[in-house]
Amino acid sequence: MAGGFRVLHLVRPFLAFLPEVQSADRKIPFREKVIYTVISLFIFLVCSQLPLYGIHSTTGADPFYWMRVILASNRGTVMELGITPIVTSGMVMQLLVGSKIIEVDNSVREDRALLNGAQKLLGILIAIGEAVAYVLSGMYGSVSQLGTGNAILIILQLFFAGIIVICLDELLQKGYGLGSGISLFIATNICENIIWKAFSPTTINSGRGAEFEGAVIALFHLLITRTDKVRALREAFYRQNLPNVTNLLATVLVFLIVIYFQGFRVVLPVRSKNARGQQGSYPIKLFYTSNMPIILHSALITNLYFISQLLYRRYSGNFLVNLLGKWKESEYSGHSVPVGGLAYYVTAPSSLADVLANPFHALFYVVFMLSACALFSKTWIEVSGSSAKDVAKQLKEQQMVMPGHRESNLQKELNRYIPTAAAFGGVCIGALTVLADFMGAIGSGTGILLAVTIIYQYFETFEKERATELGFFGF
Amino acid sequence: MDAIDSVVDPLREFAKDSVRLVKRCHKPDRKEFSKVALRTAIGFVVMGFVGFFVKLIFIPINNIIVGSG
Repeated sequence: MAGGFRVLHLVRPFLAFLPEVQSADRKIPFREKVIYTVISLFIFLVCSQLPLYGIHSTTGADPFYWMRVILASNRGTVMELGITPIVTSGMVMQLLVGSKIIEVDNSVREDRALLNGAQKLLGILIAIGEAVAYVLSGMYGSVSQLGTGNAILIILQLFFAGIIVICLDELLQKGYGLGSGISLFIATNICENIIWKAFSPTTINSGRGAEFEGAVIALFHLLITRTDKVRALREAFYRQNLPNVTNLLATVLVFLIVIYFQGFRVVLPVRSKNARGQQGSYPIKLFYTSNMPIILHSALITNLYFISQLLYRRYSGNFLVNLLGKWKESEYSGHSVPVGGLAYYVTAPSSLADVLANPFHALFYVVFMLSACALFSKTWIEVSGSSAKDVAKQLKEQQMVMPGHRESNLQKELNRYIPTAAAFGGVCIGALTVLADFMGAIGSGTGILLAVTIIYQYFETFEKERATELGFFGF
Repeated sequence: MDAIDSVVDPLREFAKDSVRLVKRCHKPDRKEFSKVALRTAIGFVVMGFVGFFVKLIFIPINNIIVGSG
């Protein structure tokens, strides 16, 4: 293949034009990393609150409502696209490389640079594509209402926001910060959403007069202002269509369950062939693929919703379109909800009453969720280079062996655990998500799982960095 | 019954593997769990309130921006 055509080389001409963060040429002190991370986070948060200039309205149905928290995206703001461009391009590149459509030799410096360039280029193209799609689809009012000038302005704003997110993530990845920007933005968005629903001071008019949106604020407000304390308590705990205290408690419960399962791992002893038989261990977590099954599942559902709503809006009488999903405006929150078809059956029932009203829906949802997570998880280890074969190869390169096993048996031993951990871990992730959704946890089961696993990873990174900084490992 | 067996057998095998995996797993004890839960909760709350206050601050700012627009 020395002289063969390589897809990656197509990217080379574009490298010069791509914005790039210089690699850190020195060891960045831990404190500076924290500062860079915090600054990046603030830039992201501010962008999430800046309104887009030139939009006519955002009152139309929001096809992305269900996944906004997970995609770190906010309606009607500069950060409308959120991290979608960068996540999508990352996944696409991962799949292309993992399935060998793109050949990459990671030991070749140029290949790694080209791969990064390709991913960035793809992210930029996706940002442009999505921005155009948003405008043309009438998300901000019809194009004729906006005018050509404003339409172009909106596209440019979304495009530059996409560039900012890509650069912020690269900044953190290249050693200036802790972990990845994507994870940081997702987790913060989810945490913010949950805290906001608990403590929001905004009021919303419902049938019972003005009420505070925040569950905790509403609890205290109701207890103070109502003469009938018992009824006030019941309303605070069980009110409909706004966050309530039961939702909050369910969120806490799911949080604790996730943390407990995070700690499950099979610890395999490994030993170095050199360095005087230095002993170590290689942990295989129950959540082997972490939150990846949820991310993939969410991406799948998001696309299904988007396509279904687009089609339904234009061809609502068509049988096949109705089979895919039927939608109607929710009376309370101004977004569309699926009420029929495939889109309905893959949506979590909104309450236990819903479950009882349509048990087949609940059953279908559970089976679909568990199966999808298991399959995504199992598939992901193959395409992401963390299968038993890949791990065995890594350990071999690091001159690691497992005591009591010949080198050739290393992969076989890993094969006893890794595929099962991936699949069963995926099932557990799916089950936790279902449990959270049924209990009405704030932020959705998916969101809580993502946030907890990301924060958990951050603390692992945090400890590692601090240990290195303090010289515990003596480098 | 062959059709059912072809579905049930892999599932049974998978269930057996999963049970073996869980038994083999090291599980967190109370102290370990408490420590991790506390730290994750702190991280959660810190991140949440950072976002919360940015949002809180921007509500009046946005009203001014959008109002004048």
